[in-house]
Amino acid sequence: MILDCLGKRCPLPIIELAKALTDKPLGFEVTLLSDDPASEPDLFAWARMTGNTAKSLEANTFQITKLAN
Amino acid sequence: MVSITPNFQSEPRLHEAARIALPHIFEAAWPDPSKLGIDSKSAALLLNEARETFSSHLGIRSDEISFLGEPNLGFHMGLSGLMSADERLVYSNIDRMDVFAIAETHQSKMLKVSPTGQIDFSDLAPSDVVSLQLCNRETGIIQNGRPENIAGLFVDATGSGTRIGLPENWSTALWDSTTWAGPSGMGIFAVSKSANWKNPLPHLDGRINPGPNSLPLIVASALAVDSWVADEKNLAAKIAAINGDIRSYISSNIPDSDLAPGGADHLISASFLYVNAEQLVTKLADKGYSVDSGSACSAANMQPSHVLAALGVLTQGNIRLTIHHATTFEDVKTFLEILSQTVSECRS
Repeated sequence: MILDCLGKRCPLPIIELAKALTDKPLGFEVTLLSDDPASEPDLFAWARMTGNTAKSLEANTFQITKLAN
Repeated sequence: MVSITPNFQSEPRLHEAARIALPHIFEAAWPDPSKLGIDSKSAALLLNEARETFSSHLGIRSDEISFLGEPNLGFHMGLSGLMSADERLVYSNIDRMDVFAIAETHQSKMLKVSPTGQIDFSDLAPSDVVSLQLCNRETGIIQNGRPENIAGLFVDATGSGTRIGLPENWSTALWDSTTWAGPSGMGIFAVSKSANWKNPLPHLDGRINPGPNSLPLIVASALAVDSWVADEKNLAAKIAAINGDIRSYISSNIPDSDLAPGGADHLISASFLYVNAEQLVTKLADKGYSVDSGSACSAANMQPSHVLAALGVLTQGNIRLTIHHATTFEDVKTFLEILSQTVSECRS
């Protein structure tokens, strides 16, 4: 699944990511596109706080795996 | 005394001792203290008394003190004045933006802090000039390490004020009068007698700052520091207890919250997931509470706090609370309930 949040300001990308993952099974993967400067630090903080994983693929592109409900 | 209790912003109200005395100080301290007239002589006495006061509270010689009308100019004076062509400026990724800007004009190295905000000073060269922030103004992180065997040490005491003493090997140091509830626009810059410092500003004589300084503000700040230090002795334990209350309330009662590592008791930085900080700060202001924020949407340049990002702390939904001497347990109890409600409102 690709979640396109380009042009959206913090905290919207993280809110939309969390919504998109709500009804998905563990192991589900999302590619998040976001060009907000707060997205990179906040994505890693979100992953730490919620027990999911996130990694940076290239500029403005992140891979997230759902590991917790 | 006027209530200042809903103020959790970094700026304190001017200390009562200075506020009451200020009109009288303006009446007495108008002449130029460097001239020879009778009025100038009494102004010079006031200036010398103020110097002695700062000397005793800051742990420096009175002849090492210069006053700065724009305190942040002290970052340039303190750091650039220690740099020669062969030297390297070493600073951390939670240092001030003022220091980042100075680093761009020199050979430099940025050190990454640990997750608790500590700098590892073990890999320094004898030609390094180090910027040491005793206390980080956004989070309250107190730097435990002390760099040694280096060419120069600039000490940023604008977050710690009189709370933390200077390391023995300091070269230059900077304080901001507002840390002891003195007037704003009053910095104290010191150059150690043993420092290898050259004035980075254009100058012909031996003076350090271009001046002229506001003698009334210097005298008011000296009154404030005397009173503030006396208050602090009595109130430090209360402030530590309030800090503990706020931290434990947020971590146990507000879900999805992220507390930045801290250290100094008067500062707390907390972030709330899925919250727009501008909305949170505005709603709290509508309810009568003033707080600061390090989030991008509340910053003029729309960039998240580089300090929070460097620490791996959530940058969205961030608020920064400063606990002042006048803050009470009751104010904080009410504030925390309102904060919890307001975070929920922002999430719905």
